[in-house]
Amino acid sequence: MDREILRRLEKLNQLQLTEQEKEAFLAFYAKQENEMDVLNSINTDETERMVHVMPILTVVREDKVIKKYSREDLQKGAPETTEGYWQVPRLVE
Amino acid sequence: MATKYETVIGLEVHIELATESKIFCSCSAKFGGEQNDHVCPACCGMPGMLPVVNKHVVDLGMTAGMMLNCDINRVTTFDKKSYYYPDLPGSYQTTQWFSPVAVNGTVRINTSKGEKDIRIKQIHMEEDAGKLVHDDWTNTTFVDFNRTSVPLIEIVSQPDLSSAEEVVAYLERLRSLLRFAKVSECRMEQGSMRCDVNLSVRPEGSNVLGVRTEMKNMNSISAIERAIEYETARHIDAIENGTEELVQETRRWDDIKGKSFAMRNKETAGDYRYFPDPNVMPVCIDDEWFDGIKASLPEFPEVKKDKYITELGLGEYDADLLTESRALCDVFEEAYAECGMAKEAANWIISNCMKVLNRKQLTADMLDINGKALGQLIKLVADGKVGNANARKILDEMFENDIEPEKYAEENGFIVSNDTSKIQDVINAVVAADQKSVADFKSGKEKALMALFGKCMKELKGNCDPQILREMLLKTIQ
Repeated sequence: MDREILRRLEKLNQLQLTEQEKEAFLAFYAKQENEMDVLNSINTDETERMVHVMPILTVVREDKVIKKYSREDLQKGAPETTEGYWQVPRLVE
Repeated sequence: MATKYETVIGLEVHIELATESKIFCSCSAKFGGEQNDHVCPACCGMPGMLPVVNKHVVDLGMTAGMMLNCDINRVTTFDKKSYYYPDLPGSYQTTQWFSPVAVNGTVRINTSKGEKDIRIKQIHMEEDAGKLVHDDWTNTTFVDFNRTSVPLIEIVSQPDLSSAEEVVAYLERLRSLLRFAKVSECRMEQGSMRCDVNLSVRPEGSNVLGVRTEMKNMNSISAIERAIEYETARHIDAIENGTEELVQETRRWDDIKGKSFAMRNKETAGDYRYFPDPNVMPVCIDDEWFDGIKASLPEFPEVKKDKYITELGLGEYDADLLTESRALCDVFEEAYAECGMAKEAANWIISNCMKVLNRKQLTADMLDINGKALGQLIKLVADGKVGNANARKILDEMFENDIEPEKYAEENGFIVSNDTSKIQDVINAVVAADQKSVADFKSGKEKALMALFGKCMKELKGNCDPQILREMLLKTIQ
């Protein structure tokens, strides 16, 4: 992790970090990198891929429509709505 | 000598699955509706909401995989694709990256150059994004989450296609197979089939790929054809004449202008930072589930077509029309099983049923009438019990309600009556009232007989054997 990668992540995540936050992230990732080095040193050629940390599978549901919520309820906490739409700042020109 | 070029094309085709509800919640997956009417806390990304997989999505993902000769991953998993844009409120798309439902398939296409197998890299299940409406006046964006989490599969081909003709053949083949298996309606105009084209150009015989661009926003197969032709010419022009520098990018096709325009720099796979979605556990497809889907697969359209021609004696034209749609085949087969008259059953579907569908602005895939009842109706006509005009009225009713044709014909007075005394009474009345036509006929005007015949048939409400009426009418006026 260096400043260039951090800048790239900042852009991809649409974030603006303060100088203090950047320092904190760099310090945090420096620690993680050591952990990663340990993991990378392990030979996993013969190891089956672990698909989930818990040895459980998903449950599935039947394809049935259930309507439980009204639009008005869902939009109660929205900062801005217009004619049933959520209204958000425009991201692209 | 001028360099010859070859085009290398790979396609990413998104297909909206024919389910009632969304992929991870129970909201309706129906197209349209009032804005934000098909939403719940899960599909609008409220914190703490957990996804629950719709079984039918996996059914259809497997079905698509089997129809395209893929291997099915018996443990298939979902992953998060980081994506910061307001049409997906969770800031990620739940998709499949590490273990997609189906891999390594093939689709055989037919073109003017013969048959060719196009390899399928993978089919993965994922959620669709919502709809954004940008408002210039307020410089804000309106968000509609109705389409968010509507289930999709993405079919990724290997770069095996080399011309617009091959792409069209491939897409038509995909559409035919997936409609047949009832995976999707595949309607490009409604967005239930969308296609991104990855294209590059290289000197013929070279094994180094050229700069690849990805094109989006084509909403018909003919638009895709035009876009490929334009983009191929643009690449060749850039290579030969240096008109512009080719860069790896996503481009938007403008069908009205007939040109493609750069959209944004293409993200690389790494930028999406895929990682296993901890909220969705792996889906394990056991033998019973797998075998059930395998047993439910339909015959391929060409197998049916061959059977219709060789076993049922239909002409190639009729067989082609019927096998364009699974719905037509289903109704045809049920009707034939009931009446035993293949040619008549085909004619009724191709002419009368299609007329009703056109009038109702429905597609062939939407033919939803009881095939057994259609077979009974065909028998009533063949036995002379119901006239053609009344039979068409009964067919109209069959599009609205599940009726028994014979009972309906009886209740509505559509059964042909060969009660000769009643027919004679009608003839006598018509002849007495229209002596001019009688005189015209006697003076050699054959058409006058048709006028009298028509009037009698109208009085009898079509419920008379035309041959009997004609004979009795002639006898009366001669």
